[in-house]
Amino acid sequence: MNHIERDMAALSDAEADRLPTYPIACGVNRKLLGDNVTYSMWCKDPKIFANGFIAGQKYFDFDFAIGLMDLSVMAGDLGAHVRMDDENTPFVDKHIVHSLEDYEKLEVPDIRKGRSHVIVEGTRLFNEKLKNEVICAAFLEGPLLALTQTAGAERVFMDMFTDPSAVHAGLRTMVEFDRQMVEAFSETGVAGLVWDYLWGNYSCLGDEEYNEFEGCDKYAGMLNKLTADSGMALCIHNCADLPHLDTQVKKFKPVIYSMAYYPLIPDSPSAGEVIDKGYADNCLIAGNIDPQMFIRAKTEKISKVTSDLCQEVKTALCRRGLKSRYCIASGCEVPPDRATKLDNIKAVVDTVKRDGVLEGC
Amino acid sequence: MNKEEILNGLSEAVILGKPDQARSYAQRSIDEGIDPLDAINNGLVKGMSVVGDRYAAREVYLPQVLMSANTMYAGLDILLPMIPSEELEDKKKVAIGVVEGDVHDIGKNIVKTMMTAGGFEVKDLGRDVPIETFISVAESIKTDVVAMSTLMTPTMDGMKDVIDGLIESGYRSKVKVVIGGPPTSPEFAEEIGADHRDANAQDSVAWLKEALF
Ligand code: B12
Repeated sequence: MNHIERDMAALSDAEADRLPTYPIACGVNRKLLGDNVTYSMWCKDPKIFANGFIAGQKYFDFDFAIGLMDLSVMAGDLGAHVRMDDENTPFVDKHIVHSLEDYEKLEVPDIRKGRSHVIVEGTRLFNEKLKNEVICAAFLEGPLLALTQTAGAERVFMDMFTDPSAVHAGLRTMVEFDRQMVEAFSETGVAGLVWDYLWGNYSCLGDEEYNEFEGCDKYAGMLNKLTADSGMALCIHNCADLPHLDTQVKKFKPVIYSMAYYPLIPDSPSAGEVIDKGYADNCLIAGNIDPQMFIRAKTEKISKVTSDLCQEVKTALCRRGLKSRYCIASGCEVPPDRATKLDNIKAVVDTVKRDGVLEGC
Repeated sequence: MNKEEILNGLSEAVILGKPDQARSYAQRSIDEGIDPLDAINNGLVKGMSVVGDRYAAREVYLPQVLMSANTMYAGLDILLPMIPSEELEDKKKVAIGVVEGDVHDIGKNIVKTMMTAGGFEVKDLGRDVPIETFISVAESIKTDVVAMSTLMTPTMDGMKDVIDGLIESGYRSKVKVVIGGPPTSPEFAEEIGADHRDANAQDSVAWLKEALF
């Protein structure tokens, strides 16, 4: 099977030659473009951004490509100060909401400028090149994530408690920003759009809060529908420890759900448990190798972990009567650090090719 | 209003996340001549422990916890200055921060709150804190504890750099170093020469009390 055939099979739980795989390697791909290409060059130039994905695909032979940049794209374009070091993932170091009135003052930036432009254009470019080889998707921050990045998470959380209407005012602007980005991404021709709905997790928000400030009947519900109506498959990424699976998988009904696993956190769901509990029944679950292994682990170790994960997934799929609906991925982005070992990324893909083979139950 | 009603009013304010109520009960407790330490421990802190336990049991979530913390601080702002300074001298000091390169500070703030509730005087260095700041502040305020948090693996090494710096400056033997955050482990703490690592706020306070008192 080629990549797209395998992806399509896994998405519809048809028979496949092996499990699909996609360690979420994004910024790290720039290392394939030469030592002089820094993170800040990569995330500010659509061509370099796209060339990273194209080089990554050629070198690693993934089954998908997802255009994740980092989580300070929207906040930066909204006016928050982003600290941009040459080689580190940039982050917001000055928020711009200091009073309740400031939520009202947030304005959607011109998405034809700034890093919003880079990510849209860059996605268009890599999609053009890779769309006949793998399923390509764009990546976008959900409204609550964009707002917490802009206003500061704690501020937003406390205001949720005391002045929810101010928070909703901010969220409405984020939704409009997201809406324009969805429209722009839909014109790039990508097959899917991955939403980062990070805050749907029980270490941070309960069902009630999540439902009120992002949830199904609110902003996310609307944006999910817009995604599908714009011709892109709805995908969700949530790297948190205790994701709201009932809401984000069963109610949002994405075609792909990417999640992490935290063995040390009680109740963090393993791949086997996620499948056993039926979350893969209608959705391609992607997970859950610890991203830090790409920096820290010896190559033999990450191969062993990947092999064990393949075994765990295959056994669980059989137990559940499923055929292929799990993608061996990295739970969160492969760290874009200089120290990340490209050999470890390759080892994951190669191990899945060997040990992810599906021979029936 | 009797003492019990005032103390209950303080803990209720914290549990419900109502800073104004905490301020007014704090003022009343002073007016009624209640020992401020009593008002803190059996009022504000009692409420914060209830919220801490409910958060650990996932009955309440961050908006509530952060608001309760805010409420506790509002009450403390009024009550702490009323404590005679000799009594405060016994308070052990903690300098806490998120190591350089990491902006995840929600967990650190919860630990800070529970340490404050546990009777420590806490100096918050914030997030993305340079190594030198940990060392210079520890020395200048003569802290008893340096507490470091990180949620990211690439920044874990910063914890070791702080400890090495403390050794170099000669201050290491005067402080306990506690670390936390999901990527850290007891083994990592040992490897870098920290005294302790904890998975959550409450347990680390219990450990510190044991180690220091
Ligand atoms: C919320 C979040 C964010 C928010 C942070 C907002 C804020 N103000 O803190 C935002 C969106 C900004 C963010 C950004 C990023 N994030 Co983030 N984020 C998370 C997330 C989902 C939850 C963290 C959280 O707040 N949990 C709730 C708090 C209460 O729990 P806690 O911090 O663990 O604290 C408790 C204990 O650990 C302990 N504790 C904590 N510190 C200490 C200290 C001491 C002394 C003690 C005793 C105890 C203790 O007590 C606390 C209370 O019980 C985690 C994943 C997860 N864990 O679910 C990822 C995660 C931490 N993020 C991650 C990453 C990679 C990033 C980014 C680089 C993403 C990007 N590509 O841009 C940036 C980081 C930029 C930077 N340089 O810092 C990774 C880190 C991977 C790693 N191991 O290196 C994680 C693990 C996700 C993943 N699976 O990969 N993130």
